[in-house]
Amino acid sequence: MRNCALLLAALLALVMSVASAAQATQTVWSGLVIAENVSQPAPIPPELIRIEQTLKALFGYNQFQVIGQSRKTLKTGEEDWLASSKYFALHVDARGETEAGYVLNLKLYKENDLLLETDTKLSKRSPLVIKGPQVGGGQLLLVLVVQ
Amino acid sequence: MKTFEEKWTAWLDGELSGKELVEFEASLPDKAAAEAEKRDTHKLGALLKEQLGAHALSNEDFFSHQLRERIARENGPSREPSLEASTWWTVRRLFLTGVASLALFVICAVVVIRDKNPGEQSQYLTQILNARVDPAVSPNATISMFETKEDKVTVLWVEGLQSLPADYAAK
Repeated sequence: MRNCALLLAALLALVMSVASAAQATQTVWSGLVIAENVSQPAPIPPELIRIEQTLKALFGYNQFQVIGQSRKTLKTGEEDWLASSKYFALHVDARGETEAGYVLNLKLYKENDLLLETDTKLSKRSPLVIKGPQVGGGQLLLVLVVQ
Repeated sequence: MKTFEEKWTAWLDGELSGKELVEFEASLPDKAAAEAEKRDTHKLGALLKEQLGAHALSNEDFFSHQLRERIARENGPSREPSLEASTWWTVRRLFLTGVASLALFVICAVVVIRDKNPGEQSQYLTQILNARVDPAVSPNATISMFETKEDKVTVLWVEGLQSLPADYAAK
């Protein structure tokens, strides 16, 4: 009986340590996406497949192209990084990890101009989409996904 | 010293003799009536022996065996009924099992409660804490936010940002 209790405790400790280790390293994908309506739409990028229907329904475009992206593996939850295209830059500043996900400060720059700033709690299970400025006949979208 | 009844019973059974018999018969007030009663008693005894004789047992071996077993049980060393000997689920084990189950329940409850923090809106949804645009650059911008039900996408919807030419879509 005592051995069984010890075995059970060891098993629980193992499961909890594996769970916390899995939780410790997460990758955040940040993308600058141009949504457009074209006659021959290109396949949607793999990072957006999960939310393809929502993007199409919300914005009414049939093509989503990534013009800049960054994939950052978070270890401390306090890293910062940049996803940039030729004219736009999305600066992401992670300011800690919570039970729900990561606290992020996002800044969208057009060249040197700050267009938009927001603070979010990015959930591990809920992507974030930000509608940016109109660009030509399309729309700039910012997408953040915890992978 | 025998009482009269004891002597009477012994006289009926023919167990008195000698001086004791003579003295008893002399003490009887009506010896003829007593003799008649003695004869009636003997007749009754004979009749009862004839009618109520013991029946022969058809399974006397089995009966004897049962009887011996019972005697052996009753004469054997007395034992307290022990739960430990009679069943695996002893009180101690039941108690330990209960404690272990309770501990497991508490662990699961703690994990679930940790997983679902009531102080937050929902851990499944991204939350937008605040958002702002530069009023000098986009004076007419408006900001709204919502979540889609299907795939839990949180959307920050900014209207009124300055439109840009198509060149800005370059990679």
